[in-house]
Amino acid sequence: MPLAMAAGRLTARSDADLIQASKRGDLSAFEEIYAAHAGRMKSIAFHLLADRADAEDAVQEAFLKIYKAAGAIQFDSGLGPWIYRILLNCCYDTGRKRKRQAESPLAAEPPAIPNNVPLQLAIRRALDRIHPQYRMVFWLFEVEGFRHSEVAAILEVPEGTSKKWLFEAKRELKRLLTESRA
Amino acid sequence: MTFDCKDLERALVIPELLPDAREHAKVCDACRRELWLWSEMSSVAPGLREEWETPDLWPNIRETLAAQQKAAKRRSLSGRFKTPFDWRIMAGIAAALAIAVSIFIVKYSGPAPTPAAPQDSDFLTEQTLKEVEKTEAAYRASIDKLSRLAQPKLNAAENPVAIAAREKLMVLDSEITNVRSTVNHNRFNAQLQTDLAMLYRDKQDTLKEILQHAQSPQ
Repeated sequence: MPLAMAAGRLTARSDADLIQASKRGDLSAFEEIYAAHAGRMKSIAFHLLADRADAEDAVQEAFLKIYKAAGAIQFDSGLGPWIYRILLNCCYDTGRKRKRQAESPLAAEPPAIPNNVPLQLAIRRALDRIHPQYRMVFWLFEVEGFRHSEVAAILEVPEGTSKKWLFEAKRELKRLLTESRA
Repeated sequence: MTFDCKDLERALVIPELLPDAREHAKVCDACRRELWLWSEMSSVAPGLREEWETPDLWPNIRETLAAQQKAAKRRSLSGRFKTPFDWRIMAGIAAALAIAVSIFIVKYSGPAPTPAAPQDSDFLTEQTLKEVEKTEAAYRASIDKLSRLAQPKLNAAENPVAIAAREKLMVLDSEITNVRSTVNHNRFNAQLQTDLAMLYRDKQDTLKEILQHAQSPQ
């Protein structure tokens, strides 16, 4: 769901109102921000960390940072991209910590895709084999439903780069899926 | 235009070429399969989204934020009460309170425990506890007296210091109530009694400063 739609699902209070109220210590305003974004944040965190408990920790950490940094937000690119940028950083931090603690199963070479698995599962496995930047754009655009302008703002790249990376992601996925089904 | 298999990739980038690509796909199995896969990836992708219930997540976040807010508020309040204390004005009240405080504190390092009392150094003996409670009651009465003196001045004032003082007293009263309630269930615990004494001490200092501030020129 695009951010604009997510925001529309909220009350009449705008993102700016909610963040201002949160800055004054209004936790009910902050809960509205949580309700609008937490679901998608958990999904993205799970995609990056492959573990529900880690994903929940990352989301919790992200919301604590969002609350703390609420005073510093610039509304040029809206609240959404800023929230998701913080989340991605929390996920990368969690991922790094986990990597230090143990050899990550994700760091190993992903297995090849058998030719008899359903397409959805095949895509999930193929995603592990493509470039992380392409994978991230594919996930944000195709899975989470962000627009290219939003993906670009989250990843802090030009919109054209977001489109190019999506194309590259799909081309790579198509190649991997075609190979596995040939 | 004459569409060929090699044009397929371009058609995936340039939407205007897609109708030609579809026409071509009607007679080309390989391109039809590729086109189908290209659009199917987008259709299937939203199903990859992971959703699960986390009923504890928001309560955990809210609880952490509330605790952080409370800690920040206490830090801010104690930061506002660093003004020097005028002993000349408050000497009478301070002397009376100092005696009460001294008695209260001295009782903590009182005589050795009686045989019937718990032996752990963190716990008070029955005899010492009685003395602590007696002294605490006297101390509390002194603070209540001070509170009665300060309250009208505090209620009348609308300056930032008075507002901060009112908030701090509310926080202190609430914490005193909480600790007293815990003490009632664990009367021999010296640490709890000390915490309670410190809260009373904090309240006493706050009340003194209110009175001092009320008497100083604005």
